[in-house]
Amino acid sequence: MTVLELARPSVSTVADRGLFNRLWRHRSGRAGLLLGVLLLVFAVLGTFWTPHPPDLPNYANALKPPSLTHLFGTDATGRDMFSRVMDGAQRSVGAALLVLGAVFFIGLCVGILAALAGGVTDVLLMRLVDITMTLPPLVLGFVVLGLLGPGLFNLLIAIIIGEWAYYARLARSLSLDAHARPHVIAARMAGVPGWQIIWGHILPGVALQLGIYATLQLGIMISIISGFSFLGLGVQPPAAEWGALLSESRLFFPIAPWLLIAPAFAIFLSILSANLLGNALRDVASPREAR
Amino acid sequence: MMERGGLAVAILLRVAQALLTALAASVIVWAILPLAPGDVAERVLLGRGMQDITSEEIEATREALGLNEPLVVQFVTWLGGVFQGDFGQSFTSQAPVSQEIMERLPATFMLLGLALVFSIAFSLILALIAAAYQNRWPDHLIRLYTQIGAALPTFVFALLALTFVVVGFQMGRVLADPSWSAALIPAFIIGLDRAASWTQLLRAGLLEAMASGYAEVARARGASERRILLRHALPNAFLPFLTAIGISVGALIGGTPLIEAIFTWPGLGAYLLEALTSRNYPVIQGYVLIAAVSYVAASLLVDVVAMILDPRLRRQRS
Repeated sequence: MTVLELARPSVSTVADRGLFNRLWRHRSGRAGLLLGVLLLVFAVLGTFWTPHPPDLPNYANALKPPSLTHLFGTDATGRDMFSRVMDGAQRSVGAALLVLGAVFFIGLCVGILAALAGGVTDVLLMRLVDITMTLPPLVLGFVVLGLLGPGLFNLLIAIIIGEWAYYARLARSLSLDAHARPHVIAARMAGVPGWQIIWGHILPGVALQLGIYATLQLGIMISIISGFSFLGLGVQPPAAEWGALLSESRLFFPIAPWLLIAPAFAIFLSILSANLLGNALRDVASPREAR
Repeated sequence: MMERGGLAVAILLRVAQALLTALAASVIVWAILPLAPGDVAERVLLGRGMQDITSEEIEATREALGLNEPLVVQFVTWLGGVFQGDFGQSFTSQAPVSQEIMERLPATFMLLGLALVFSIAFSLILALIAAAYQNRWPDHLIRLYTQIGAALPTFVFALLALTFVVVGFQMGRVLADPSWSAALIPAFIIGLDRAASWTQLLRAGLLEAMASGYAEVARARGASERRILLRHALPNAFLPFLTAIGISVGALIGGTPLIEAIFTWPGLGAYLLEALTSRNYPVIQGYVLIAAVSYVAASLLVDVVAMILDPRLRRQRS
């Protein structure tokens, strides 16, 4: 093998069309994909169409048990639970995806910068990471929420501040790893410019591994966002969100226990799909399998 | 003799590292107050129920609270106070925060401690059963449980279990005074949910150990499968399991406000929620400090136990 041959970007693990095929052939991967696509369609559809208006009270229709017109029944102000769960999907799942995207991007940039710049930059960034990680997960989120006050946007900021360090640390060690790989060394020897090495040889592999980690965390993220909203610190009424729906429904448990089922089931299904997908992705994209 | 010296040095180094971590955490905790929006002195006076506050009063309070000192001096003064158990005064009740924390701390430790014991016990038993009956029905059943448990957040599972099983069948009271017996049902529920992912982890570790070379050797020497599982696989799979528990303790601590809200448990988490809505910063600081110190202590404990159990970990350090 010549140096030039080695220097060819080995992005086979990333741009490889086979990744999706391998995921599809993986048993739980296919289940996770199907369930995830179904939930996404449900969430996107919920942004512009629901069977009944999700936020409009109809007191004549309060606390009705599940029926054909109201699949999951109606809540204390007569709002259709199915429509509220549907409307809430964008906030529960969408917010989780948004947060993950943000911490993925921040982590990737900080990690690669720290690994490749080295020296003082590396030390300073990593000490910042260490300090962030001294607090238990979520506790930093509570601190930021305490400073900013409740609300969905503040919640997203709080979670991003609490989570980015884990991604940055992982991205840094992955970049250091990639930097020492034969194809990157060969590329450097062949005189490939620095930014091209980062863009073509280091970034793809690091992004893939970090992406797998993010997928594995998606379920946890959904549970964090719904948990904070359950406490009233996230989404504010009357907006629907699965955790907030649980907390509203909880008050009417003795007379309307069915109200708890739909939001709980929605949370369960979305985390299940994320877990199936994440585990399958880790299986099919692990370097051992790819080579 | 040398072995023992190595262990002592390794543990000392780890303790020093834990102290540094705690110090770093204390910087974040302290910074909450200067970072808080609005004027701290004004907030304190509002908390005391004063109205029409003049700028002279604010200035006097600033002076009294030491807010005119340089930040470094403020931090050292604050840290010195913390070491003497002085966490400041609650903005709302005017009582010392440390006193209010001490009233609620036992309830939280009771619930978390018991939940931890339950989840360790459940995951140990279930993982051993699953590994012993690999790919037979007990294993399939346990794996179904771990999939479901991992997909249900603790607070959702707790809410469903509490409303449908405990209240539905009138097995206990929802409003509980903090006592060991009252903590039993909530801790059982938390433990059952938490154990799911730990069972997954321990089962995988056990199966890997069962398929390894030393297990094969033991099998060749005629050891029974049960002996291999308990004597060879379990000790080897136990360390990663222990480390995972150490990490999860942090998640357990961070999750207390949610768990306590569900069980209406009068612990620190409920106290924090109250403080968050009223922007009671000294209370938030107290909670975060306790959470951070417990987190540091838990991971220190896990690491030291791991070092005592596994000599390889000591050599890596030195």
